[in-house]
This record gives sequence, structure tokens and C-alpha cells, in this order.
Amino acid sequence: MRDLVKMVVVLTVICAASGFVLSYVNEATKAPREYQLLKYVREPSIKAVLPNYTNDPIKDRITITLGKNDKGEPIEKTIFPAKDNGKLVAIAYASDATGYHGPIDVMIGINLDGKLTGISIMTHTETPGLGARVVEPVFTKQFSGLTLSGELNVTAQGGKINAVSGATISSKGVVAAVRNALEVFPQIKKEVS
Amino acid sequence: MSVAKVFTRGLWQEIPPFRLVLGLCPTLAVTTAAKNGLGMGLATTFVLVCSNVIVSLLRKAIPGKVRIAAFIVVIASFVVIVELVMQAYFYPLYKILGIFIPLIVVNCIILGRAEAFASKNTIVPSAADGLGMGLGFTLSLTFLGGVREIFGNGTFFGHAIMGEAFQPFSILLKAPGAFICLGVILGVMNLISAKK
Repeated sequence: MRDLVKMVVVLTVICAASGFVLSYVNEATKAPREYQLLKYVREPSIKAVLPNYTNDPIKDRITITLGKNDKGEPIEKTIFPAKDNGKLVAIAYASDATGYHGPIDVMIGINLDGKLTGISIMTHTETPGLGARVVEPVFTKQFSGLTLSGELNVTAQGGKINAVSGATISSKGVVAAVRNALEVFPQIKKEVS
Repeated sequence: MSVAKVFTRGLWQEIPPFRLVLGLCPTLAVTTAAKNGLGMGLATTFVLVCSNVIVSLLRKAIPGKVRIAAFIVVIASFVVIVELVMQAYFYPLYKILGIFIPLIVVNCIILGRAEAFASKNTIVPSAADGLGMGLGFTLSLTFLGGVREIFGNGTFFGHAIMGEAFQPFSILLKAPGAFICLGVILGVMNLISAKK
């Protein structure tokens, strides 16, 4: 009986100590882990969509709240500012919309006038060889310089974006993601500047 | 046995993957480049030293019947620490080693040393044993990774060293290459030992 009690006590103490140490390490490494994740996963996209900048957009990132979703939880957005010699020139943030097979995540760069400086598709599950071709520069380059207007639509709807042939739904998905992002831009601009 | 003897034992006489033939899973899987082998080896060394120290500290408190469970909790905790720290400061390496970092938990060397050595010895020899075995493991992995990288890719730690005309043996970077290299190294080591 004494053995049994000892076993239980010893194992409990060891597990508790382990849990305590791990939760401490988890907290201590939280910020650098988040930074590294953004650095290696997001930075290539951010670099592609922002004009020349001299700061580290990931280090300078700001998280802002944009209203509430259906469940009443605040919607958070992480904004990556591009600064040239300390002056804010453009911002980048992620947006998404539904494509043909699932969500398409797009990184969007916008200068302070609300003009797109570039877009880059981060993740998608579109059909290889068809919808997946929306990641190609031939398609994404068309967005540069556009604003939230009639031009920002596929040509079939009177816009300036040539959809990837055979992949209208995927192309429209990207356009929708970009439009979603631009719609909240005035609100974001107010917050960051 | 002196502390120095305990330490150096892991470097040749009982060098883990080649002599004890333990911990082969990471040895075969991650050694496609010298850098990966080194990173994996150092991560394992850290876990090995720390778990040996803790196990040796607690050896009198842990009842024999639950010792394995207790050792595993200690080892798993250090593995998670390594994983979090790597993710925070060495993200590219963390991505390459991937699933093999959490799998350090089930590396036979670590539980083996805890059970066979640390649970019967005081702290200093246990730490020395962990360090020796860990460094032996690191050396082996780096060496194996180096051989595979040099002949399989023509580079060493990412630097091209074989010249333009070199045609890499790309099979060495695949799974069979790992077995071939390991076999050749084991054979050469046995040859050297047999001559002595």
C-alpha cells in the first residue's frame, strides 16, 4: 500500500513539474516563434507585394480589430507596414475568398492612395494545371496599380483582369479576395496612420 | 570507472549508431546533409545530458515499478523544450528535421542511457555519459551526413567542394544510400577494431 501511494505521488509530482516547466518555456518562446513563422512563411509573399522598403515589416507588424464576426468575436487582422526611411509608404495584409476547391489565401500590398502594389497567392487548393495557374505572375501582375473600381473584375464582367483560361471560378476567387481586402482598406488606413 | 573514461567511451568504443547500433531511425532519415546531422545530433545531445542529470538526481526517489514512465516524462519534457526553442530560433532547421524532433522521445539511446547508466550513477558521471554519448551520436550523424552530402550532392555544409566535372551519386541522398553508407562505415570500423 505504501508503495502504491509513493508511486502515485512521485509520478504526479514529476508530471506536474514537467507541465509547469513546459508552460513556462511555451510562454517564453511564444513571441520569437510567431516571428519566425511569419518570417519564413509570410515574408516571401510580403516581399513580393510591397514596393521598396527599408524596415522589417514583420517586426513592425500591427494587429488591429475590425468589427465583429457573426459569433460576436472580434475579427483581428495583422498589418505589415512598409516604411521607407521611417515614412509609411504601403501596407500589406492577408485576405481570402473561396475558389473552386476551397479557400484561396492572398497577400495584398496597397499603397496609401488605395492602389494595389501587388498581390501574391499564399495557399490554395485549386486544380493543378488549371486553377492553380492563378499563382503565376502573368495573372497576379495584372492587379498592380488597380483600385477598388469596376476595373478590378474579370474581363467577362467588364473589368481589366484576364481570367486564367479554363479557371474562371479560381480567377474570380482571387478577385473577390482582393476586393474584400480593399473594402476594409479605409478602415485599416485610419488605424495605422 | 573514471569520469573521463565514461565520457570518451561514447566517442569510439560505444559510439551509439555504429557500435551500439541504437537510434538508427534519425541516423538514417535525417542525414542527407552534414548540417542536418549536426542539428539533430546537438538536439539529441541536449536531451540526453539533461535527462541523464535529472534521472540521476531522482534515481532514489523514483520507485522501481514506475521508473520507465518517469524517465519518459522527463525525456519528453526536454524534447518539447528543444522543439519549442528550435522553432523559435532555428526555424529552417526545424522545418527540415520535422517529425524527427518529437521522435527524439523514442530514441533508444536516451532511454537506454537513463536506464542503463543514469539510474545507477551520481550526477557527474551521468552528465559525462550523456555528453559523451551525445557527442558520439552528433559526430556519427555529421560524418554520415557529410559523406552522403559530399558524394550525393557535391557539397559540404552547403559549400560546393567537388568541382564542376563531378557527377553526384544522387542515390546516396535517398533511403538506400543511407543504408549503404551506414553499412560501409560499420564495416570499416570493424576492420579497424579487428586489426588492433
